Amino acid sequence: MRTLYSMLFITVITVNTYSQSHDLGDVTIDELKEKVCPSDTSAPAAVLFTIGKSHFDYSHEEGFELVTEIFTKIKIYKKEGYGLADQVVSYYSGNRGSEKVGVSKAVTFNLVNNKIEKSKLKGDGEFDEKTSKNWMRKKFTMPNVKEGSIIEFKIEIKSHYIHNFPDWEFQKRIPVKYTEYTTYIPEYYLYNTYFKGVASPEITKDGKSRKIDYTYLEEGVNGHLGTTRRNSTLEFNESITKYVLSNVPALKQETYVNNIDNYRLTLLHELAGTRYPNSPYENFSTDWESVVKKIYDNEDFGSELNKTGYFDNDIDQALTGLTKPEERVAAIFNFVKERMNWDGTNRVNCEAGVRKAYQDRKGNSSEINLMLTSMLRYAGFDANPVLLSTRSNGISLYPSITSFNYVIAGLELENQVVLLDATSKYSVPDILPFESLNWFGRIIRKGGSSALIDLMPKTNSKDIINIMGSIATTGEVSGKIREQYFDYNAFYFRELYASVSTDSYIEKLEKKHQGLEVSDYALQNKLDLSKPIIENYAFTSSNAVETIADKMYFSPFLFFSTTENPFKQEVREYPIDFIFPHQDKFNVSLNIPEGYVVETLPQNKAIGMPDNIGNFKFNISNTGNQIQMLFTCDINQAIVNPDKYEILKNFFKEMVTVQTEKIVLKKI
Amino acid sequence: MKIQFHLIFWAIFTCSYAQNPTYSALTIPDSLKQNANAVVRYSKIDISITSRSAMKTKVIRAITVLNELGLQDLELSENYDKSTSVSKIEATVYDSFGKELKAYKRRDFKDVSVADGFSVFSDNRELYLDYTPTTYPFTMVFESEVETSNTAFIPSWTPFEGYLVSSEYSELVLNYKPELNLRKKEINFSAKYKIEKLENSSSIHYVVKNLTAKKREELIVGSNDIFPYVYFAIEKFSLEGVEGTALNWKELGQWYYQALLADTEEIPEETQLKIKKIVGDEKDPVEIARIIYKYVQEKTRYVSIQIGIGGWKPMLAKDVDKLGYGDCKALTNYTRSLLKIFNIPSYFTLVYAGNKIKNFTTDFAFSQGNHAILALPTSNEMLWLECTSQVQPFGFQGDFTDDRFTLVVKPDGGEIVKTKTFSEEDNVTVLNGTYQMDTEGNIVGKIKITSKGLSYDNEFGKLRLNRDNQVKKYKEEFNTINNLKINKINISDDSKGVVFEENLEFEAEGYAQNSAGKLMFALNAFDQNSEVPKKYRTREFPFQIQRGFTNQDEIEIVLPEGYKVEAKPNGIEQKNEFGYYKIEFLDLNNGKLKCLRKLVLNKGQFVKEKYEEYRKFRELIAKNDNSKVVLSKTQ
Repeated sequence: MRTLYSMLFITVITVNTYSQSHDLGDVTIDELKEKVCPSDTSAPAAVLFTIGKSHFDYSHEEGFELVTEIFTKIKIYKKEGYGLADQVVSYYSGNRGSEKVGVSKAVTFNLVNNKIEKSKLKGDGEFDEKTSKNWMRKKFTMPNVKEGSIIEFKIEIKSHYIHNFPDWEFQKRIPVKYTEYTTYIPEYYLYNTYFKGVASPEITKDGKSRKIDYTYLEEGVNGHLGTTRRNSTLEFNESITKYVLSNVPALKQETYVNNIDNYRLTLLHELAGTRYPNSPYENFSTDWESVVKKIYDNEDFGSELNKTGYFDNDIDQALTGLTKPEERVAAIFNFVKERMNWDGTNRVNCEAGVRKAYQDRKGNSSEINLMLTSMLRYAGFDANPVLLSTRSNGISLYPSITSFNYVIAGLELENQVVLLDATSKYSVPDILPFESLNWFGRIIRKGGSSALIDLMPKTNSKDIINIMGSIATTGEVSGKIREQYFDYNAFYFRELYASVSTDSYIEKLEKKHQGLEVSDYALQNKLDLSKPIIENYAFTSSNAVETIADKMYFSPFLFFSTTENPFKQEVREYPIDFIFPHQDKFNVSLNIPEGYVVETLPQNKAIGMPDNIGNFKFNISNTGNQIQMLFTCDINQAIVNPDKYEILKNFFKEMVTVQTEKIVLKKI
Repeated sequence: MKIQFHLIFWAIFTCSYAQNPTYSALTIPDSLKQNANAVVRYSKIDISITSRSAMKTKVIRAITVLNELGLQDLELSENYDKSTSVSKIEATVYDSFGKELKAYKRRDFKDVSVADGFSVFSDNRELYLDYTPTTYPFTMVFESEVETSNTAFIPSWTPFEGYLVSSEYSELVLNYKPELNLRKKEINFSAKYKIEKLENSSSIHYVVKNLTAKKREELIVGSNDIFPYVYFAIEKFSLEGVEGTALNWKELGQWYYQALLADTEEIPEETQLKIKKIVGDEKDPVEIARIIYKYVQEKTRYVSIQIGIGGWKPMLAKDVDKLGYGDCKALTNYTRSLLKIFNIPSYFTLVYAGNKIKNFTTDFAFSQGNHAILALPTSNEMLWLECTSQVQPFGFQGDFTDDRFTLVVKPDGGEIVKTKTFSEEDNVTVLNGTYQMDTEGNIVGKIKITSKGLSYDNEFGKLRLNRDNQVKKYKEEFNTINNLKINKINISDDSKGVVFEENLEFEAEGYAQNSAGKLMFALNAFDQNSEVPKKYRTREFPFQIQRGFTNQDEIEIVLPEGYKVEAKPNGIEQKNEFGYYKIEFLDLNNGKLKCLRKLVLNKGQFVKEKYEEYRKFRELIAKNDNSKVVLSKTQ
């Protein structure tokens, strides 16, 4: 985990801000005149300040309500920043009523003839929209936005869902000049706070006693009729925490990044417990054990996991005659994959429940993999559910119920846990769909104890290409190719092409490698997941060899050469994510045409990267009219730290050189 | 005949709750399975127009999905809004033997807003079934009934269900009140589709059987150039409560203007004065329009609001003036209203926008289009203004609305007019470059690129990118040069003349392969066209080159000290109906080489038999663009 945290590090330049108003309405001519963002001249817009406050209100009827007010001031520098004028706030509507969102003080400021002109947002620019059963959206669009405009608005969100404490994003897609967030939390609530991205906001803490006067109606007692209006006061301690950060750079998208939101500087609040007067302390989550226990104790998880009986006959039948443990595991895993169909949703909890899901043959990730776990247990295996957060859900950094959104199954063997995910038809033990490959998960053992588990693949998935070819005097190359895809490569191939017809696959292949013509194509093990995918085909290629005057030039990799370095950026901020470690191997044998001799061969080469990140070896030799080439490239780590970027970039540069370097044949 | 169809219908549906052999995937003929991800077994669309403001559409669609790629062809949804309601929506799924697996009722359908990322707000909603298949193949029978008071848009019909989908049986029934005067337009009704047709004074009926699945071949022409379609319109129609009458383009345009545009033109006094001041003494209408277009670009931005009649009628010009935003209709109409202050006529124009050209069906007047632009007549040509863009040059619509028929709405009626066609002589890129190589094969050099016509449209966006993204873009553009470093970027944009000029200075390590003391590299470092279309063993449909272009390159190469040319490519020249290609490599004998290249690709539509010839032409270009020189040490 330590490396994980260090990889999430982002530099924040904290500069003392010169004194400047942080109130709405205080727009100056100088601010309106500013043409570019001083800290980032390429920024289309910048947040001048965003100041948030979350506190609790109380009323007798409603109890405590979480109120968040956010004051935002944004400068639009360029037309590309106009999108900031359209704002969206999503809010929840559940069994305790709807959250309420209000927009006020929304004004666009423009400089017209050196005078400040204000345009207020009116009702015609505000819209409410239902997006799903429980989610609503408030949208508003600011009037008269031009290059140079400043827009301001206040958003207020009132909520009874105190679990749903807003996340405070210090970092945006545009630079943020000043961001401040203050929480006022009554003694009745305990929240854990966490930072995503290593941010160092200035934190000040304070505590105060607070009184809230409220009224309530008391019904007549002892035979008296009518109700009486009574006043009362609630007095409690409140802890006040203020977070301040200045000059936060824009979040920049890079290639080979897992989920960019993992690196966005964000403050998160997790409700750990409640301590109401005259009630015992109720714990929600404080550490991983509690979180896991809480999930486990939820009837949509633990009791679903423990349900049995609905599959017994089918599993008994599937296991008939099988005695070897690995066969029994495979039989159960295949049974679930075949019977069940994933509905595309990632969940920790069951929705319809395992029984119903089993009957309907479809379910979410929880239903399918909890079912798988129960079945394995039924067959006598030590199997447990593994909680994880998918790539699109980001990385779970702290103990929280919401930091998991997915369940897979873990089969406990001696010193080893084999991971199984039956949501994909093409997954096999320890080969998980890419969405699940997201650093770490938690395995929940019987009784509710749990342990951290590394999800990332450790062995290199191989891709082996064998080419046997002959070059004709015309420069045309023809021969046979055999390509084998193992493990993750096979999984990926099946996900992409298992349902594509051979015809369209060949068309794709020919399009990818220019001048290639494929015939006698045969695909083996498309659906036999225990074996690698094997492709065999005959080929002719019209432009792999270049004939200039009386010489021929070609790369021994023919049309498979990597000709472009995938790493083009000069610097790198985030880890490079290869998803899984891999090995690419080429074994090439080429016959040169009659009347030609080898004039030059590229030199053998071997390059390694430090810390066992990876290496390649290139060997080429020539005997008689035959050229033999062997190439192996290993990338041993799924995720590479950005401080190794330069090394990686150079490694790929060398590889491109080797793969494009030419053999020269000379006519005799 | 009609009765007979109803009988078929009953035969299918009375037994649909038992094991239903009709929906068994096993009975599908092989000819319909070839190339198909899904097979539409039975499709019947039954439309009845009972008055100018009442139309009901019933759909029954049974589709067998053969594999997961066929899932997207399920179409288990209906849209609704304030004037359109869904009175019935349900679906039943059967396994491959035709046995019922599950029935879905209305409550199983999800109800969502269709507002996309672009729209700020729309009152259009969708009911859809989020179905997870449990087995393949399976058959889904979908039934819906939708009622609407809008009759300005009558659903068109085609038996073509999309590429890689075959259709066993497709039927349309349309009943209407004769006094509404239904008109129709049939296209591509060729004999090979065997379209059965029945017609009388109050109904029309089509059936097409056994349409096999087609591949979406590369460069294929539009589906409405190949497959049968029928379009409908009634003379007396209604749109969001607004009534209209039209028999032809003139009348349709007239109605559009009177009902939807005429009362939207008011511009507040204050803005009138302001714009008059900005225009000043300028008298030339085109120059005034240029000033006003710029004013609108500076003042407004694109925001989509589609509520009720607002889906068709523009926001009032005075509201756009107040709010500074609007959708395509609103911004076009606002610009038109501003021009009107100066008595400069300009016309609201409806068009199908998009990079892929789609035309109005010119000889049949009915409501069409998905976008609005402004037509500005000048003494010698029509200028087209794209009012939703804050950056597009005046009078240059680019490839979003070029070369297609549109409806120009004039106060006294509509007219079909074609927008500007950019020919291969208009879309010109001229590249002049030099680079110098050192003995390691590293290069350093300069490039100047001038782009006009649609080439301008492709490039001018760079002006507004920040430097990081510009560099990224150049690395993609010059992807044949590895390890490229851009040292200097100088861009000049002549938006009046529509000419874009880029001046770059760059260097790159290891451009040439250095083996055994010899350097080998492609002389044409900057402009390699490696795009070769897919090879088809048998091509079925004609193909098109939608837009032509001309590339002209002159590249000078300074050889490293102590090296001479050992071998250089010969170059080639070819001219055919697809265009012209010539590349020459000259040894200037002073330590310099020159690469001269010209590529002209002609716009056009071609029969399928020509496809392989075209593909070979592109292969030849790709190969010669990449042809290499070999240098060796002198001595």
